[in-house]
Amino acid sequence: MIRKEKEIKVIYTLVLAIFAVFLAVPVLRLLTESFVGESGISIANYVEVVAGKGFLTALGNSVKVSLASALCSTVLAFLLAYTVQYTNLHKNFKKVIRTLAVLPMLLPTITYGFAIIYSFGKQGLLTRLLGGQPFEIYGFWGLMFGYVIYTLPISFMLILNTMGFIDKKFMVVSRVMGDHAFRTFWQTIIRPLAGTLAASLVQCFFLCFTDYGIPASVGGQYDVVATVLYNEMLGSVPNFQRGAVVAMMMLVPSILSIALLKFLERYNVRYNKISEIEFKKNYVRDGACAVASTLIILTVLAIFAVIFVVPFVEEWPYKTNFTLEHLMDVLNDQSLFGVYKNSIFVAVCTAFLGLFVTYGAALATARSKMGEKFKAVIDGIALVTNTIPGMVIGIAFMFIFSGTPLQNTFLLIIVCNVVHFFSTPYLMMKNSLSKLNNSWETTASLMGDTWIKTIVRIVTPNMFSTILEVFSYYFINAMVTVSAVIFIAGARTMVITTKIKELQYYTKFNEVFVLSLFILATNLAVKGVLGIMDYKRNGKKEK
Amino acid sequence: MLELKHVKKSYDNVTILNDINLKIEDGEIVSILGPSGCGKTTLLNLILGLTQVDEGEIIFGGEDITNVPMEKRGFNIVFQDYALFPNLNVYKNITYGLRNRPDISTKQEVEDMIDLLGLREHLNKKIEQLSGGQKQRVALARTMVMKPKILLLDEPLSALDGVIKESIKEKIKEIARDFHLTTIIVTHDPEEALTLSDKVMIVNHGTISQYGAPEEIITAPQNNFVKEFILNQLQIKRNNIFALFHQDFTKEAQAV
Repeated sequence: MIRKEKEIKVIYTLVLAIFAVFLAVPVLRLLTESFVGESGISIANYVEVVAGKGFLTALGNSVKVSLASALCSTVLAFLLAYTVQYTNLHKNFKKVIRTLAVLPMLLPTITYGFAIIYSFGKQGLLTRLLGGQPFEIYGFWGLMFGYVIYTLPISFMLILNTMGFIDKKFMVVSRVMGDHAFRTFWQTIIRPLAGTLAASLVQCFFLCFTDYGIPASVGGQYDVVATVLYNEMLGSVPNFQRGAVVAMMMLVPSILSIALLKFLERYNVRYNKISEIEFKKNYVRDGACAVASTLIILTVLAIFAVIFVVPFVEEWPYKTNFTLEHLMDVLNDQSLFGVYKNSIFVAVCTAFLGLFVTYGAALATARSKMGEKFKAVIDGIALVTNTIPGMVIGIAFMFIFSGTPLQNTFLLIIVCNVVHFFSTPYLMMKNSLSKLNNSWETTASLMGDTWIKTIVRIVTPNMFSTILEVFSYYFINAMVTVSAVIFIAGARTMVITTKIKELQYYTKFNEVFVLSLFILATNLAVKGVLGIMDYKRNGKKEK
Repeated sequence: MLELKHVKKSYDNVTILNDINLKIEDGEIVSILGPSGCGKTTLLNLILGLTQVDEGEIIFGGEDITNVPMEKRGFNIVFQDYALFPNLNVYKNITYGLRNRPDISTKQEVEDMIDLLGLREHLNKKIEQLSGGQKQRVALARTMVMKPKILLLDEPLSALDGVIKESIKEKIKEIARDFHLTTIIVTHDPEEALTLSDKVMIVNHGTISQYGAPEEIITAPQNNFVKEFILNQLQIKRNNIFALFHQDFTKEAQAV
């Protein structure tokens, strides 16, 4: 090539350096740590952990509850997505479903658990309304409930997205060919979705398996791998080597599920063209979908209702008069409000740094002439970050950065978030960049542009929507994540989610809910502002 | 004059172009014609400087430019998909290069180019509001403002409808004549190539099958490929059109 692309090579090297220092080295260290014992390098730690009493039970519990939740989530998400994509219901109704279904993503999972406790506990809001506890919240059912709420939005978006890319004209073809209604449904909706439904199962399973927030609150005596891992590392009798083993074991299902996802990609059906059709009038279908969707959404909302109720009454459940006292307490408590400011700072920095890292990485893979092998390295990194649970990254960071100047710094948390959530925003960037016209750089360079100038003047303005999306993805995830930061946040660098975990010890639930409301309000505000920015710039374009 | 001497190019040991020799005089319109996969786009990229030659030389105006990078050669290209910048309006697209090299065209020259290509009424429009033919003219104007020493056009007509096609053809001819500009066009359509250019270079399997004026190609095809694929296609078209008009004539005659 005559064009040397010096700039892109520098960016590429920087990106690789970040992931070498903040991903490869820590994880390798974790791996070696898991083999180190009193008698040198051996698999003794593994034997000890597996033979130990609790681990296999916890593993079994994890698999069981994650599977059940994944299945439940996917079915419910399909119902919601079907309602949006395949019924003649009013478009405002559909809009409401789309908005409310993804609302839980704006809250940390650790809050879900407390919300469930306050809804379905012995004195819970919903228990009182229903006149009795519908299920035992500590243990399997509580976990499953939390996991379903947690994964429902993700599964919903996944299925909704694929449904949008199904050519609906095939329904007409199927019908004129004389297919029975069920056969049409099977051939034109379920079959093209099969890959995505399976992917949703795998993705939900992975998320449930590796989440720490929900078991931290409603796990009770029902141990799962995440709680075992936490106790080994930060519990009353910490054992780092055993913790490293558990972390490595947690990686196994993660790697398996990602391998499965890759494999499932080939079952994705691609249509050349997507056409819309008028759906057959069917009041039974529409009515049933409307009722089912409303029920699902209402259930989710009902659980979160306590977040709005509990902190605004004097003493739940005994003195239920309205008060702003708890809110004012938090605002006036420097240690609590300071934590909120920390969270905002971390989220903003994560969003900006994440933006630069993903943009740089995606420019290298989507818009440079570098060799395929070099590009495959970055794609590989994306795959790896998608595979590694937050807890594992957190523990790996704990091993490698303890005692260094980076310990207990915001920088460490920020970089940790950037690495942990790299996969999705990177793919968003890469996808958008590769859709842009291939000849822009050549054309602009013939007009006398340097590469940097073209990126600033031409490529970046055309990436505006995606840049906002990536910013919002990083910001929101940085606000709600707990799994990795719990191991690396120090007293000075406490963020809201880790503070919530701490408040749990002192059973200060009013504060927990007030802080959760702060997170929710902040995320909503950020989404709103970014939405307005996008709208102003791009007008009323449909996405 | 542009001259290519023994130019060779291969990718991953597959030879795309082999021993290409050719001379293009200043101010000529030359079409590179051939089926898809024959190497014609690679040839265009070699001349542009986007792709490096493996062997051979490229000489322009007596100077060896084989190793001169693309942006220093002073040639310019209009891509098949135009590569217009959607975040800028028509006028800003046209004057994009002037931000980097303000002295290359005067204000008057830019205005003249806008009028020549009939873009005056579209200057404030967004790119997405333009039709295919309008986009092509904007891309042409943007390139012409840079005063290229050679104008390269990659399939300039293939995305356009019938009548628009003819009008863009005329514009290309007009520009080449008015500016005495060497213009090299890549196309897969024999009719386009033979009606638009002073000389046609037919490429097949990475070599030049025949290079000559349109009449030479019609009257003296040098090999079977030219006869079978180029002339035959045109004859079928001619016969169809004759048949069509003959029918009309007889009907009219009967009516009278």
